[in-house]
Amino acid sequence: MSNNEVVMTIMATGDAPRRNWRQLVSSDASLGIALALPVIALMAAFVFVPVLITAWDSFHRVSPMMPGEPFVGFKNYVTMFSDPNVRNAWWNTWFYVVLAVSMQLALGLGTALLLNGMRSGRRWLLAAVILPWALPPVVNAMVWSWIYNPHYGLLNGLLLKFGLIDQARVWMNDQGTALVLVTLVHVWRMMPLNAVILLAALQTIPRELYEAAEVDGASRFRSLRMITLPLISGALGIALTQSTITAFNIFDEAWILAKASAITRPIQGQIYMTAFQDLKFSYGMAMSITVMLVSIVVSAFYIRRIYRETRFD
Amino acid sequence: MVSFILRGTGQRLAALLLLIWSLGPVYWALATSLMKPRDIATSPINFFPPEITFEHYRKLLGGLIGLPDETGIWYDFLRALINSLVLAGGATVLTTAIAALAAYAAVRLRFPGRNLVFYMIVATLAVPGYTVLIPLYRMMVSLGLVDTYSGIILIYISAYLPLAMWLMRSVYESLPLSIEEAAYLDGAGRLYTMIRIVIPLATPGLIAAAILTFLGAWGQFSVPLVFAPTAATKPLTVLIPEFATKNYVDYGLINAAGILAMIPPALVVMFLNRFLLNGLMAGAGK
Repeated sequence: MSNNEVVMTIMATGDAPRRNWRQLVSSDASLGIALALPVIALMAAFVFVPVLITAWDSFHRVSPMMPGEPFVGFKNYVTMFSDPNVRNAWWNTWFYVVLAVSMQLALGLGTALLLNGMRSGRRWLLAAVILPWALPPVVNAMVWSWIYNPHYGLLNGLLLKFGLIDQARVWMNDQGTALVLVTLVHVWRMMPLNAVILLAALQTIPRELYEAAEVDGASRFRSLRMITLPLISGALGIALTQSTITAFNIFDEAWILAKASAITRPIQGQIYMTAFQDLKFSYGMAMSITVMLVSIVVSAFYIRRIYRETRFD
Repeated sequence: MVSFILRGTGQRLAALLLLIWSLGPVYWALATSLMKPRDIATSPINFFPPEITFEHYRKLLGGLIGLPDETGIWYDFLRALINSLVLAGGATVLTTAIAALAAYAAVRLRFPGRNLVFYMIVATLAVPGYTVLIPLYRMMVSLGLVDTYSGIILIYISAYLPLAMWLMRSVYESLPLSIEEAAYLDGAGRLYTMIRIVIPLATPGLIAAAILTFLGAWGQFSVPLVFAPTAATKPLTVLIPEFATKNYVDYGLINAAGILAMIPPALVVMFLNRFLLNGLMAGAGK
């Protein structure tokens, strides 16, 4: 807390007699609590309590199809590990995470470097780059689904026109191809966010550093490795974690492109089907808890960073 | 000199590729939406509309200008458009207002548990929204809030408030304290200072928070998929995919609907880009 704030706090509350109701209400603490309470209530009702209920119910058998909610211990979790559908959905999810995160980081860094080096037109190119991120993910997925259309789609059309394939292909039938194509839609949408995060970091690097490196005869690649990357490592960490969390929770793209198809179904799709189609609530909750724990472990880095940046206030 | 020219050319080429990658799919959707069905379903495909038609847009919006067609799709579409606007608009206004007040409390007002509350709220950013869908669904059913505007808007607020608060907090922290101190010395109370002096200064931050919330709520799919089962609250993002579940998939219609759903976010990117970028950078923990 800064000195100024101490002074202000004293000014605002120091000489107020605590028992006087009107002054107590006008004091900082009461106003602060009054402003925070509705938010706490809302977040408790919609996030904290539901998370606790999810955790609790995942150890019970909860289904609208069956009466009673008996305690079943780790049964839901044990079933999960031997359920071929869940295992398949996890494999697909890990595939999305690894491919999407590496593509987003590589393309995001490339885009950020390009934008940072531009002397004119940066504003307009940046607006074009950010557009896919701003559009509704579902609409993006539908547009791409039309691009991948086996009969009249743009992808086949372009490949045929440039003679790269002899006849139109059905893209979403083969698992490997389908997973890559779903990932591509996700990358199209999420890469801009990485580019913006990295661009913001690049702009804080003083130009003199590069000039000095050039005088010393360092190549551009060496400058990138020795100056740029270390100085934007924080932003790289943030980009990495946000990409990872969103990739773990991929749903819209897979759902629109292939509906419930098992070859592309991510874990969130499996949860949706388990809970809202098979109505096995507690089994779906056990899966949700697992996804949350994996996401949190992976994002621990991000949270730590937030603390590091804010604990001196 | 040669390397300078080469570098310029390479840069321009890379910029062009990036432009095609980012806008190509949007162009393709627009081109398809303006083509006649027989021009869409041809092989080899048409990269440009050989003949421009607005028939798909007429199907979606015709009723508005007194030209309804026999399918009656325009009615469902209009309904969903209104639902999308109400849900995203309501969530945006409320989230921004609540974040503006609560973040101020978290930055300038000292009260017990202040930091704990703030960090717990921000920590929910790491909780995937899907985790709470099932208990939330049961809760909303018992409260009778499924398929209501207020129920869905409340879920949106709880989903987008953490980011908005995080952003507003960094905005308030960047404002000089001296202005508030001056207001104190002149005898202004906390509430007055906050509403009349601090919040106007934080307007760019508020716009950024509003934009991020709006884009998120406008594009939401999984929440309305569960909580908006009927036409009463179903937004565009849930309605448009339904166009494709019929036996016959009308790609012209789907792309036209997609283009219409893209308009609000596209306007934001075109006209409020500066605020959007600042918000993203602040939201990313910069």
